[in-house]
Amino acid sequence: MSTAMNFGSKSFTPRPPDKGSFPLDHFGECKAFKETFMKCLRDNSFDNSKCRLQSKDYLECRMDHQLMAKEPLEKLGFKDLMDPPPSQADRDTKP
Amino acid sequence: MFPAPFKVNFLQQTQIQVWTDCRTMLLPFLVRQSLCCPQVLLTRCVRALQCDAPRTLHSQAEHFLQRRLPLRFHTQSRGAKSRNRKSKSQEEEWKTRNKTVLTYIAAAGVGMIGLSYAAVPLYRLYCQASGLGGTAVAGHDADQVETMKPVKERVLKITFNADRHASMQWNFKPQQTEIFVVPGETALAFYRAKNPTDKPIIGISTYNVVPFEAGQYFNKIQCFCFEEQRLNPHEEVDMPVFFYIDPEFDEDPRMARVDTITLSYTFFEAKEGQKLPLPGYSYN
Repeated sequence: MSTAMNFGSKSFTPRPPDKGSFPLDHFGECKAFKETFMKCLRDNSFDNSKCRLQSKDYLECRMDHQLMAKEPLEKLGFKDLMDPPPSQADRDTKP
Repeated sequence: MFPAPFKVNFLQQTQIQVWTDCRTMLLPFLVRQSLCCPQVLLTRCVRALQCDAPRTLHSQAEHFLQRRLPLRFHTQSRGAKSRNRKSKSQEEEWKTRNKTVLTYIAAAGVGMIGLSYAAVPLYRLYCQASGLGGTAVAGHDADQVETMKPVKERVLKITFNADRHASMQWNFKPQQTEIFVVPGETALAFYRAKNPTDKPIIGISTYNVVPFEAGQYFNKIQCFCFEEQRLNPHEEVDMPVFFYIDPEFDEDPRMARVDTITLSYTFFEAKEGQKLPLPGYSYN
């Protein structure tokens, strides 16, 4: 437990997120993208690597509707989805 | 202790003399004995002699006694003086020795106090270097997201858990129970929250990662925690969590057997004017 006051017991210290908090999507503007993403996950037995394109779409939707600060997608770790497929073997994540 | 009994004889005057000389030599050891003892013995002997021998012997013996008596006292006092000097020097020696010992002890005491003060920053440094106690390892870089490469061989299962405080009336649950990610790859997950009541409720959440040591590798890019989220009556929202596992997770020997990481969110009701302590400051 993170509240156990033992000396030497490993406890967890929560850290704030890097880019802060998502504003709530009260109007469900990006709900469609979310549904596609969830469907993709279910179809691929919840393997995230296979659904990165959908997650990228969802985040782009958020950015378009001012639900997320606009950032270049490289900064969000989608560099491999942005560029035309380079010749590096470990960059192949397109479903 | 005493030599042979007092033999009265003119020929044995030398003997007497020797005997008295021996006595003076033995005087330092005889100090503790009562002074009157030898005297008494001698006077008794002398009186015995008086009856038998002629007066001259008696007078001679007396003469010897008298002569020896002051000597005896003299030597006694001399011995006492030398004794005093010896004990004085000894005392001085003890004094200086005591002083040095006391100085050493005082120095050790002061050193201990100083060490206990210095221990606080030193321990913090040590914890950061070794990562004990789940403290955040210094050097968590936001630009790392851009440059990190996914470690495809290591597949981790992230399970999701949702909790709420007893008095919190939202319905809060994850939209997927688990997700498979690899370190170095950003991932997206969703929770759903619904306010079934007729009044708006403001919630605030915190999270927990188990196992604790893996928590330092769990980096959230963006989530919905630590800020007040307001839900209108009968409103339902999707709450995303955008995170990644640090690629260094694969190189940590302590994480070699870790395959499952559980992310747990807990929602609390936020009261007006309540200020929660900010995470990231060490208050534990």
